[in-house]
Amino acid sequence: MRSTNRVRRSRVMVASVAVVALLASACGNGDDTTDEPDDDVEEPADDEGSDDDEGAAGDEEYDITLIPGVTGDEFYVSMECGALAASEELGVNLDVQGAPVFSPTEQIPVLESVIASEPDAILIAPTDVDALQGPLETAVEAGIEIVLVDTTLSDPSIAVTQIGSDNHEGGRMAADALGELMGGEGAAMVVNVTPGISTTDARGEGFIEGMEENWPDIEFLGQEYSDNEPAKAAEIVSATLAAEPDLSGIFGANLFSAEGAATGIRQEGRDDVFIVGFDAGPAQIEQLREGLVQALIVQQPLEIGRQGIEQAVAALRGEPTEEQIGTGFVTATLDNLDDPEIAEYLYKAEC
Amino acid sequence: MMAELREQDQAVADREAEDAQPERKRWVQMLTDSTAFIFIALLGMVVAFTVLRPEAFASVNNLRNIAIAASILLVLSIGQTFVITTAGIDISVGSVLVFSGVVAALVMAEVNGGQGWAAVLVGTVAALLAGAFWGLVNGLLITKAQLPPLIVTLGTFGGVLGFAKVLTGGINLRTVPNVLIETLGIGRLFGVIPWLVILALVITTIAGITMRFTRFGRYTIAIGSSEEAARRVGINVDRHLLKVYLVSGVLAGIGGMMSLARFTNTTIQGHDTDNLQSIASVVIGGTSLFGGIATMFGTLVGVFIPTTLQNGFVILRIQPFWQEVAVGAVLIVAVYVDQLKRRARDRL
Amino acid sequence: MGDATEPLLQARGIYKNFGHVRALRGCDFDIYPGEVVAMIGDNGAGKSTLVKILAGVQPPDDGEILFEGQPVTLSDPTAAQRLGIETVYQDLALAPDLDPAANLFLGRELVKPGILGKLGFLDTPRMAEQTRTAFKNLGAGVQSETDAVASMSGGQRQSIAVSRAATWANRLVIMDEPTAALGVVQSKAVLELAKRVRDQGMAVVIISHNMPEVLEVSDRVEVLRLGQRVARFRTSETDMDQLVGAMTGALVQEDA
Repeated sequence: MRSTNRVRRSRVMVASVAVVALLASACGNGDDTTDEPDDDVEEPADDEGSDDDEGAAGDEEYDITLIPGVTGDEFYVSMECGALAASEELGVNLDVQGAPVFSPTEQIPVLESVIASEPDAILIAPTDVDALQGPLETAVEAGIEIVLVDTTLSDPSIAVTQIGSDNHEGGRMAADALGELMGGEGAAMVVNVTPGISTTDARGEGFIEGMEENWPDIEFLGQEYSDNEPAKAAEIVSATLAAEPDLSGIFGANLFSAEGAATGIRQEGRDDVFIVGFDAGPAQIEQLREGLVQALIVQQPLEIGRQGIEQAVAALRGEPTEEQIGTGFVTATLDNLDDPEIAEYLYKAEC
Repeated sequence: MMAELREQDQAVADREAEDAQPERKRWVQMLTDSTAFIFIALLGMVVAFTVLRPEAFASVNNLRNIAIAASILLVLSIGQTFVITTAGIDISVGSVLVFSGVVAALVMAEVNGGQGWAAVLVGTVAALLAGAFWGLVNGLLITKAQLPPLIVTLGTFGGVLGFAKVLTGGINLRTVPNVLIETLGIGRLFGVIPWLVILALVITTIAGITMRFTRFGRYTIAIGSSEEAARRVGINVDRHLLKVYLVSGVLAGIGGMMSLARFTNTTIQGHDTDNLQSIASVVIGGTSLFGGIATMFGTLVGVFIPTTLQNGFVILRIQPFWQEVAVGAVLIVAVYVDQLKRRARDRL
Repeated sequence: MGDATEPLLQARGIYKNFGHVRALRGCDFDIYPGEVVAMIGDNGAGKSTLVKILAGVQPPDDGEILFEGQPVTLSDPTAAQRLGIETVYQDLALAPDLDPAANLFLGRELVKPGILGKLGFLDTPRMAEQTRTAFKNLGAGVQSETDAVASMSGGQRQSIAVSRAATWANRLVIMDEPTAALGVVQSKAVLELAKRVRDQGMAVVIISHNMPEVLEVSDRVEVLRLGQRVARFRTSETDMDQLVGAMTGALVQEDA
């Protein structure tokens, strides 16, 4: 008798959980974007300015979806903030959809679902230069404008524009910053993410180039890969510290790699090793303040997000767009951290 | 006297059975019930999403994309169903998939410059062999070395992926023949049904028939139901378990080829959660984590629930993290129901 | 029955240790065709261990087993089955999630003829038919052919296990505490089944704690104590006191 009731109760639980999850999430939508029913999804947006819903001339509301490389990453969150700010000014309904893993296996299903929801434009940071090519071409065929942000494709011509930092240059800047800190001598290594990502590969290359050209007396120990996991980066650094006593400089090529490298240094209690990181998330800024990291090469994701929206809207309105936009860097150190020109570039954990 | 005794016994038996009925007989119904229930939940989901966003969700294109997104996971989950039915578990499926894809890519690059059907054939054989190899390793460690499946496959989960990265130097290989991409990857039968989906459904059907109607399936269920009983009646349990893990490995190998075709590269980073997703799908579908109860149809439904949920949530523009919450909730409830079944059964 | 004919199965000087525990210390046992022999003994006497050895589930550490006078090695359950020996274990060894027919045919499934059979397709209707016949012959009955055996009462499951052994056995059925978990009426039915098996020409070994049952169903009794056989009786020539005495060591037989 008892278990019959329990079974019944559990079935009711399944049903209610499903319903509650569905309803609560539909209501708990953090982006303030409402599900506009059928109005704005009737026709695919065309290039010559949309004949969309709200009739007032030049006052169209566009639906744009941002697909970051991975969710929960402050770099992409900052990009989202920049895009959000621009969206509010230009009257854009912004939605953000992404996967918790930086991989085309997770991003492509999300992209395909987004395409089905028929936005006017998609801002996307492709997780693979080839794998995303086909699906994005499908999006273009469906009449959706594509803007590439941060990372790019093998053939970016299908997109309106590609917007990103000149990561090669960023790598060189990191080499200079680290070389200075090391006083031009000692041994240096790079903790990178995963081979094959256009942005981080470029940073690594730029760094190595900069080192070879400007700091010939510094021994280069090589590049290791953290797979975007801080814990792994920490392990790599600990192991290298044990193996190479001359190690005195580390370049962490992205947010998690830099974060992890600093943790590794702290665990080993080595305050004589200099770290230059890439990206400026809250944890990294903490590390900068604590002195675990000496400099951060900071991108401008807010700017990338903002420019992305502006370019998308321009394309939708039939206005001219730029083929490629390179955003710059600043070097943040403990000294200039609180200067307003630097502070505005620091990444946010939420908008 | 005999007849009297038999009558009395029958009466007692009837009374006992009556008392037992609500608790014991019910749980057999629960199996059919829980799979049917999950299926209804899936239908309900589809209906809800269709009502909320008809053209976006219920379009042929979108439904097709859902099926494609589910297909590779489905193939892995079929293998996982066999394993879980024996009261085992295979955590290494994602890594074996990646490894098989890597081996296939390396081999195909040597054939005809990495293009053409000859290369695809060779690559497929290589992928199947690679999957079979690791399936055998798992099976041998579990049966001969008598190690728990959880531990063994946890070890191969890490080790095999590491091995794959050794083979590629950590990068993703991209030597996938165009014919494979064009047919299996994006090609469709009659221009409508994707070959990926057909392959997955064919495998599901064969597996379902095997589990229900053949000796192999019967032994799988028997071993999960009571490994000791199976041994006592003379079933070669070790050999059968070896075959089951072999099947899981081979299916992961097929998954590796499917993944190469769909994503055009070895996607080394993209399969870390395949194991948990396949286990969740199997359990949500109604197969018992504790063994002895199997439903391939349930696995089919179970795979589609998270996939459909994710698709619908994106279309409804719901924050991505809620998708993970929802799938987690469904899984927990599914395991809870499974536990109830188990407790009802163990009371005997 | 008994002395005139040759023993069907004999255990001679069986030793079995589990770590420090010496379960069997030079144990003997004799089974003659066409009889019900009860194996009795207190807890720890070694009965279940001896049963598992006779069933081929475990190998003895020392000693020999003779089948129809010839030494045999029972390396696994299948070896014992090939000799026509079937066992009903104390825990029944049923697969709880399978139905009665599946349990009856477990390990010996019938497959469809032809190519389907080679692929291993089960001939479920034929197995169901034969199961029905087997139950009828033995006077056993299950309330449902398709429900999992876990959903059935203890008595039903016992009769399935006994029917399974009786159906496949050729020469000997061993039953380990078959009535331990059953009520009075159901126990009677199981014992009737045992007698019926004997009447079909096979031998039956019943391990039991239950003296009245032993006296009721068996033709002979062999008593184990501390891993050895200490007494043998003709049931018709003994009584409860003697049996209990032998079990506890109060009564000693010289030539057991």
